[in-house]
Amino acid sequence: MKINLAVKLIGTSLLMLSVLISCSQESSTPSMNISSDVARVAAVPAESGPPDLSGIWQVMNSASWNLEGHAASKMPVTTILGALGGIPAGMSVVEGTTIPYLPDALEQREKNRADWNNLDPVAKCYIPGVPRVTYMPWPFQILQTDSEIFIAYEFGSQSRSIFMDRPGTEAPLPSWMGYSLGHWDGDSLVVNVTKQVPDTWLDASGNYHGPNLVVEERYTLVDTNHIQYEVTIDDPDVYSRPWKISMPLYRRIEENARLLEYKCVEFGEDLLYDHLRKDYDGPKALDGSLRGN
Amino acid sequence: MKRSALLLLSLVFASAVTPSLGDVPMTKWGKPSLQGNWDFRTVTPFQRPASFADKEFLTMEEVEEFEAAVVAGREARAAIDFDGEYDQQDLDVGYNQFYLDQGTRMTTTMRTSQLVYPENGRMPAMTDRGRETAAYFRILQSRSPEGPEDRNLYDRCILGFNAGPPMRSGAYNNIMKLVQTEGHVAILVEMVNDHRIIPTDNGGPDLPTDMRLWKGDSRGYWDGDTFVVNTKNFTHLSRFSGTGEGMLLTERFTRLDENRLEYMWTVEDLEMFEDKFTAVVEMQLTEDDVFEYACHEANYAMPLMLSGARKQEASGEEDDTWLPSWSR
Repeated sequence: MKINLAVKLIGTSLLMLSVLISCSQESSTPSMNISSDVARVAAVPAESGPPDLSGIWQVMNSASWNLEGHAASKMPVTTILGALGGIPAGMSVVEGTTIPYLPDALEQREKNRADWNNLDPVAKCYIPGVPRVTYMPWPFQILQTDSEIFIAYEFGSQSRSIFMDRPGTEAPLPSWMGYSLGHWDGDSLVVNVTKQVPDTWLDASGNYHGPNLVVEERYTLVDTNHIQYEVTIDDPDVYSRPWKISMPLYRRIEENARLLEYKCVEFGEDLLYDHLRKDYDGPKALDGSLRGN
Repeated sequence: MKRSALLLLSLVFASAVTPSLGDVPMTKWGKPSLQGNWDFRTVTPFQRPASFADKEFLTMEEVEEFEAAVVAGREARAAIDFDGEYDQQDLDVGYNQFYLDQGTRMTTTMRTSQLVYPENGRMPAMTDRGRETAAYFRILQSRSPEGPEDRNLYDRCILGFNAGPPMRSGAYNNIMKLVQTEGHVAILVEMVNDHRIIPTDNGGPDLPTDMRLWKGDSRGYWDGDTFVVNTKNFTHLSRFSGTGEGMLLTERFTRLDENRLEYMWTVEDLEMFEDKFTAVVEMQLTEDDVFEYACHEANYAMPLMLSGARKQEASGEEDDTWLPSWSR
């Protein structure tokens, strides 16, 4: 019994000593009023493996309204919300500034655009799909493990798994978020997304795709608090060639950064089911004008 | 001695004297790994049936008998001829056996019920307030719906009926994914494609009482080898089993071995119930994927219910045939 106790005490002491030695080898941590994710990333030496993208991230642009360059414009709610009811201006995030639609597909995009607030699936709180879910103006959180990278999105409480350990597999079924397979290309996380249903749009301005969409995302940690997010989008039925978008992702560094809920079904219900409510008094747009059924 | 050699020696020595968790997979940072896809189907009754009275545990033979009886009962239900107005074999209640996926096994706790407290394995009595509130929602959800808000949260695809929190085996989609990093645990329940992100360091100050979340606000910490999650700040509509916005939930996740995750939870809401209640199951590790449950995207039932209700109003012929038989 005494020998066992002595062994345990020696073992514990050596363990404490090793911890003290390893702590002295770490780089200094940033100040304490920013998130622990930042401190952890700053402390990891660059040669210790792929970068850890875990943390809370968010875009700062209006790409979710329109991927292409756009001036500020009204929404159908300015009579109720005034200046809060406008779409902000934004520079194009598309390489080459415009999306290379095939001629028929461009006509379809214009039809989508003409009635966007009724047709946009995200206005109904439907799952946005990839890449749109990334540039929705809500934060998302990356939890990175060896076998899978789980991304949780505040918008709609959506999520996806990027499988890191099953290359060459296929999804058994199509889905709104598609099937994501990831691998590291140096320090860039490359994600191939296939089998997305054709029902999603790429933004709220009618930009869309077909059932053969293939998406390749690249997440590259350029410094502790910025990821360069680049996406190649291809669908030969809709576009004349593959095309790219790119934008920075910004880490939410405040200490209390967290995802909250934006379970938008109760908001989408008004758009979807208002006309089916008891005592509904006729179709109208939110600005009071009539619209056809 | 060189610093690196001392470090290596101390780590080897320390591992020899650190207690082992046997078959439990461990994370790189020294905590039990809870990560995986977990199957929480079970035929163990939630409340202890009268036939088991004060019997808390079953023998293996009794478990096998119970499981066989459940399977036989399902086969009989699938074959029954419904008489009366609704002569639709096995479809009277909306789902036939093809859709139901409740498993064929009792949970490996060997218990006669999932509930372990109160000690009789039965739900505690509701308070007067609990009964009044339950009656209000029962009446609301039995009437012809005036709008989507008249329907329960499952019909609206806002919460899943087995997802809670807490999670509890239901009709189908009894699978969840748990992803674990040192700072957070994510739980994705297949129904309805919803997740919680739980900090492992208690997550800072409480949310103010006027911030209410459908799934509540979950904070976690390690109690030895058990991950404990406390959740509160529910909405008044979340209503797990008739609770209200004051519900306090404590969940305990303990990895028992390679294949089993013990999941114990306690609900306390003394405004609605006279006592707290606790349940325990052992989830099973599964290779099955969690599928995307695009509930709201394919919610054909909602517009059909609403348009059916408007049609009945227009014709002056309101009736309750739209309700399933068990809720008439």
